[in-house]
Amino acid sequence: MLDNWLPFLIYGLFAAAIPTSMIVMSFVFATRPKRRTRARGIPFESGVSTGPLRRQRFTISFYLTAMLFIVFDIEIVFLYPLGVVLHQLAWFGFAEFAFFLLILLIAYVYVWRKGALEWQ
Amino acid sequence: MSEPWWISAIKGFVIINIVLLTFAYTTLLERKALGRMQLRYGPNRAGPYGLLQPIADLVKLVRKESFFPTAAIDIPYILAPVVSAFTALAAFAVIPFGNGWNIWRYHVNGVVANVPISLILVFALGSIGIYGFIVGGWASESKYSLLGSMRTCAQLVSYEVSLALSVLGVVITAGSLSLVDIVHNQAHSLWYVVPQAVGFLVFLISGVAETSRAPFDLPEAEQELVAGYHTEYSGMRWGLFQMAEYVNMITLSGLAITLFLGGWHFPFAHGVDFLGPLWFFLKLLALLFVFIWLRATLPRLRYDQLMSFGWKILLPVATVNALITALVVVWAN
Repeated sequence: MLDNWLPFLIYGLFAAAIPTSMIVMSFVFATRPKRRTRARGIPFESGVSTGPLRRQRFTISFYLTAMLFIVFDIEIVFLYPLGVVLHQLAWFGFAEFAFFLLILLIAYVYVWRKGALEWQ
Repeated sequence: MSEPWWISAIKGFVIINIVLLTFAYTTLLERKALGRMQLRYGPNRAGPYGLLQPIADLVKLVRKESFFPTAAIDIPYILAPVVSAFTALAAFAVIPFGNGWNIWRYHVNGVVANVPISLILVFALGSIGIYGFIVGGWASESKYSLLGSMRTCAQLVSYEVSLALSVLGVVITAGSLSLVDIVHNQAHSLWYVVPQAVGFLVFLISGVAETSRAPFDLPEAEQELVAGYHTEYSGMRWGLFQMAEYVNMITLSGLAITLFLGGWHFPFAHGVDFLGPLWFFLKLLALLFVFIWLRATLPRLRYDQLMSFGWKILLPVATVNALITALVVVWAN
């Protein structure tokens, strides 16, 4: 079991080392600016400078999308194991599958009718 | 059939470098192909046919000033591109590219890490990669970055649902989450692209959206957001975000090949299976070209169209596809 994961760990070390070394390289070899002015460090605003953007409000749609994602992602988490053993479970498994999707369909229709899928 | 750890280490090192090389030359291929499709030459100064262009780009990116916005929050700002690039690179470890070979007295597997839940692992790493985008945009403390990262996040989580559901049909048919098993199952039957044609289509569309490529490149809509979440990034840190995007594209194409297009198998013939990596690579190039072709052809979607397309069309289609697959599989049993 653990034998399977050792190669992944080794590969993961390479995968972490390469971006890290690139960041380090960009610090070591980067050209330095000849002089520092205040205007260099401000955020890009097409030349218009504004203050920092701490308390900006966001449209509720982003939060709604995140909530929908959690609901439907849990659906997937349930369905994957069921999909793997569906051969053994046969009709019982299919009934479970269909029943689960039926419950989800009710939720989906509710969400749709409430207008949560529209982007405002 | 386990192999000694040093073989895994050598293989991992070779594969990760091949992935990086493929990434570098995909950028060249993209610029060349886009150039030709727009009736111009594309890069042709660095080396013959511009073949040294990726190397010139790398040198330029490393030499660029490592610019640091005053308002940015230091550690997340620097770590975000590393996280994105790391997850993108790590996901390729589980993609099988060959049958395995007996070299001298050792057996070399045709995959870096043959883990039983490899499919879930790819999706999990993809989800962690989103953190890199959202933290990067948030930590740079700029209007465009923040908006871009919010958009990226909403788009990626929306299409991840359809992406994972479209694969469910394959999981049901194969009865396994291991990519190696899924490829073996396709060896003596039809490739899953035929029975799972709908799943393949949904997978491809959500895959394009997951890698935020045109026509779904809303996160980087340059007319509205300058450059999206990496507006404040430059030099090698920007390069790492680009690397994450392109390596994600490569991994996703590899996943599409593994799940639907028979993996490293040659169509209809099994005598040439020892050349698995070659067939895998050719299929990969074809899929990457499709990505580039889409970018040259299709205009960008509007944001509300993008969201409603993902939630109202792709998600039901993928779910119904999974349900019908389940019915057929159980019926045939």
